[in-house]
Amino acid sequence: MAATNVEQLRHEWAEPGALMTAVATVDHKRIGVRYLITATLFFLLAGLEAVTMRTQLARPNERLLTPEAYDQLFSMHGITMIFLFVTPMLSGFGNYFVPLMVGARDMAFPRLNALSYWVFLASGIFMYSGLLIGSAPDAGWFSYAPLSSTSPGSNLDFYGLGLIFLGISSTAGAVNFIVTIIRLRAPGMSLNRMPLFCWAILATSLSLVFAIPSLTADCLFLELSRKWGYHFFDAAHGGDALLWQHLFWIFGHPDVYIIFLPAVGIVSTIIPVFSRRPMVAYHLVALATMATAFLGFGVWVHHMFAVGLPQITMTVFAAASMVIAIPSGIQVFAWIATLMRGRPVMRTPFLFVVGFIVTFVIGGLSGVMFAVIPFDQQVTDSYFVVAHFHYVLFGGAVFPILAAIHYWLPKISGRMLDERLGAASFWSIFLGFNLTFFPMHIAGLLGMPRRVYTYPSGMGWDALNLLSTIGSYVLAIGILMVVVNVLWSLVRGRPAGNDPWEANTLEWSTTSPPPNYNFATIPVVRSPDPNWDEPQRSDLLLAHGHETVATSELEGELDGVLRMPEESVWPLILAVSLAVFFVGLIASSNTAAWTGIGMIVVSLAGWHLPTARGDERSDPPPAERTGGWWGMVLLIATEATLFAVLLATYFYLRFEPKGAWPPDGLRDPKLLKPLVATLILVASSASIVLSTLAARRGQLVRVRVGLLVTIALGVVFLILQRQIIDASLRAFHPGTDAYGSIFYTLLGLHAAHVVLGVLLAAWAVLRTIRFDRSAVVTVRVVSFYVHFVNVVAAVVFLALYVSPRG
Amino acid sequence: MRSGREWRYRLVLALPLVCLSGCGGGQSTLSPHSGPARTISSLWWIMFVGSALVFALVVALIAVGLLKRRRTSPGTKFVVGLGVVLPVVVIVSLFVLTLDALPKTSPSSAKTRFQVDVVGREWFWDVSYPATGARTANEIHIPVGVPVDVRVTSSDVIHSLWVPELNRKVDAIPGHPNDVVFDAREAGVFRGQCAEFCGLEHAHMALEVVAEPRAAFDDWLHRASAPAPPPANARLERGQQVLLGSDCEYCHRIAGTNASGTVGPDLTHIASRLSLAAATIPNSRGYLAGWILDPQHIKPGNKMPATNLSGPDLQALLDYLESLR
Repeated sequence: MAATNVEQLRHEWAEPGALMTAVATVDHKRIGVRYLITATLFFLLAGLEAVTMRTQLARPNERLLTPEAYDQLFSMHGITMIFLFVTPMLSGFGNYFVPLMVGARDMAFPRLNALSYWVFLASGIFMYSGLLIGSAPDAGWFSYAPLSSTSPGSNLDFYGLGLIFLGISSTAGAVNFIVTIIRLRAPGMSLNRMPLFCWAILATSLSLVFAIPSLTADCLFLELSRKWGYHFFDAAHGGDALLWQHLFWIFGHPDVYIIFLPAVGIVSTIIPVFSRRPMVAYHLVALATMATAFLGFGVWVHHMFAVGLPQITMTVFAAASMVIAIPSGIQVFAWIATLMRGRPVMRTPFLFVVGFIVTFVIGGLSGVMFAVIPFDQQVTDSYFVVAHFHYVLFGGAVFPILAAIHYWLPKISGRMLDERLGAASFWSIFLGFNLTFFPMHIAGLLGMPRRVYTYPSGMGWDALNLLSTIGSYVLAIGILMVVVNVLWSLVRGRPAGNDPWEANTLEWSTTSPPPNYNFATIPVVRSPDPNWDEPQRSDLLLAHGHETVATSELEGELDGVLRMPEESVWPLILAVSLAVFFVGLIASSNTAAWTGIGMIVVSLAGWHLPTARGDERSDPPPAERTGGWWGMVLLIATEATLFAVLLATYFYLRFEPKGAWPPDGLRDPKLLKPLVATLILVASSASIVLSTLAARRGQLVRVRVGLLVTIALGVVFLILQRQIIDASLRAFHPGTDAYGSIFYTLLGLHAAHVVLGVLLAAWAVLRTIRFDRSAVVTVRVVSFYVHFVNVVAAVVFLALYVSPRG
Repeated sequence: MRSGREWRYRLVLALPLVCLSGCGGGQSTLSPHSGPARTISSLWWIMFVGSALVFALVVALIAVGLLKRRRTSPGTKFVVGLGVVLPVVVIVSLFVLTLDALPKTSPSSAKTRFQVDVVGREWFWDVSYPATGARTANEIHIPVGVPVDVRVTSSDVIHSLWVPELNRKVDAIPGHPNDVVFDAREAGVFRGQCAEFCGLEHAHMALEVVAEPRAAFDDWLHRASAPAPPPANARLERGQQVLLGSDCEYCHRIAGTNASGTVGPDLTHIASRLSLAAATIPNSRGYLAGWILDPQHIKPGNKMPATNLSGPDLQALLDYLESLR
């Protein structure tokens, strides 16, 4: 392992000029740092909003803020903290450290990673531009309909469109993390040797893939209602206000764990290091992480105990909610056991972790109380719940994030933070936090509702609110101390060296900051604590290209070498194109929206052009299930969830507000033409199967014929579908009632997916121009999507046309 | 460090106890005045004590971990014992408590005698007594010791009716009528407030529940069911004309007159009410005058526009409104 090795790597991983790097980098470390900085700025904004609100609430009947201003502030505070700070911040740490922790040289899809960041930035700016023009979202972070669906102005459009926009970033990021974790781990890192932080990111990302579609569908319904007169939530037109809540919390409760699990992963990373002992009950903790993510999907109704659901429904969901106490208990006591076994070293990251355990246990205990239905019905929507979720989210996520900043910044910057300032900031934050939020439990028990811009005196709330306000100032000072400490350390901090904490995971085995290629040699792993292993690892040399290794999903056995993509400006251009599209929608400008769509198509084409350094030495894909294979499977999983949500909505609207279906005056939809159209589309599954079989045998002509037939069938379907929709519109339209709304939404969304399938097939035809093994994979992966769209067509046909006759 | 935390803890533990005895007349969940509210407050105290014990255990274990001199080596058994067995015991007990408390706080159990309809509106409560013609706003009268079925719905956005001293909250949702039982044990005025964010003036959407002995209640219901008394003298006559000649009648209803608007609260017996503007200001002549002239100052964003009246017209209008008992 010689200087020549490093020399070669430097050459292969060299960056272009500064300007080009700024717009085109795909380096996960640069992207991670961008995530961290952007999310921190949003955190400071949200903190400023919070302190302003606390100032308004310091005294009863205060008139510092108008109700308009207060409503926008509390809404933006929640939206920012949940969507623009915690998740992106944890994505930032994930981006920077997951590849390093698993011993890879980048994420699985570096360009997609760049896109995730740019879309996050653009959607954040999009939502905040509402605040700049004084019409930010003002119905809270969960924006219940019909308040949100009927309010005037653009306020809620910034919310609905902004969250759909941001969902693209979160979904792409989640898919990227999953594929990175299951495919790019260092040789020998079987799943049961993977760092717990990576387990947490894996669990979170899987949750996102299945949770985001529910939010996307909800926001789609919201925007269709607000801008185009659809009726999803409007009881007078067959809609249902509770539909919003169900869909929101099917996303929203998993999102609580999406926020919390990576933070917990940070804690499980830091505790062993500062206790100098491996994690006790590692397997149980990994299992508990996955179990929490899974259970998170089955408890959403506990946010809706006051809406008047049947007792049996509530009881089932209460029981499910209580079960979450078990995985949480396992994790808490595993941390405590590890800490008790070791000889704790009280440095700043560890202080924040201990602060986390204390506050999180309080939040967990008050959380279990919400599963006791009558108590929930008494204190929900009061300050008690505000206290509870700040203990869980600030205690459970912000404390670990602060711990992570103090723990990992030396790796990112190469310099240490100041310990004394670190300890001072911890105590200021810990005391300020408890002083702010503990009194809120009592204010809630004394009957103070949440989201009030002011309150009368004489209710027993005055002193408690004043304490909270003072606490928020102390907390803010502590946060500013952290900012000062970070900035100071970047300039003056003591050099960190490779491994200042004598830690157990792989990121500490390389330099601080790591080189562009992360590791000079690819580590080979033999235990869950590779950096503590003696003697030195026997690494792999991999220096002759811009490459990293791929390994098998479970055992982490070496599978092959992956060539990693170069810099590209297309992710940025695609993000800008998406922004043009969403700005067009919010401004109700069809020209801008269609321009955006045109730009999106052009940038997708540009993205897939061969690059200069690119394909000159394309290795055969190493395994049956490549990264692209996994990526497509996950894309289909999230899209299938979206259609599942839409179909569930169809049946919810049909059975929940009781009435005729289709509504009185409408006949059952005609069967014949939709049946023919669906059969034509489903036939394209056969043609694409022929294509994939031919591709495996290398029969180029048959591959192309199969693909072209697939495209033709898709186009014929679209023409027929257009005629069917035109005919239906003569009888009823989306604005007629909820039936029309969901009918056309399902047909329209499915047609859009057929268009995408046709475009993918066309792209596959282009890929066959130079026919190699990667073209075979492309055809195969595209065929999955075609099958998926066809299955959806059949299900939609059964639901819309056959089921009303039953 | 530890002593500081304990000191703070003693303080915060003491606070609710102080308020329990000294915060009457508010809307505290900890001063129950009905069976259901008492059931829920008992749940709270049981869970509070249990949580305090678990919390003390965790803090003690962390303290041992950080300050110990001898090595300890808890392993998987420790994690399973405290992380699985303990939560299972806790949640099974809580589940039993839930099953026990749920019927006691739900409408199905109580044999209610009659129904009150409450409709949440932006931003007041429209209250009516079916089959009597009685209609009022922001005030629910109930007889002491008689379970009353309060049927809650909404005609605009989602609100939530919450009178903590009588029962849990229940959401007011368009198209989904919900019920909650009010069964006051003693006479008194119990404050309640909208608990679901409903727009600009969510903060000023309160109400009062007046529980009074049966005879007094029957008397009130009898008066409330009657139309407004006709003006008794020329001055009141003039006041009524001011009202009917201004914009008031487009939004407000006064039974027995031509005013039949439904946008704002019913004013038929406004003078008999305890407060104005959804329990935001007291019902006195001065506040009433201020409200009529500049409601946007008191409750910014509410749907009532300012009314421009001459001094004499205003005084006559006030006289008339004050006669609507």
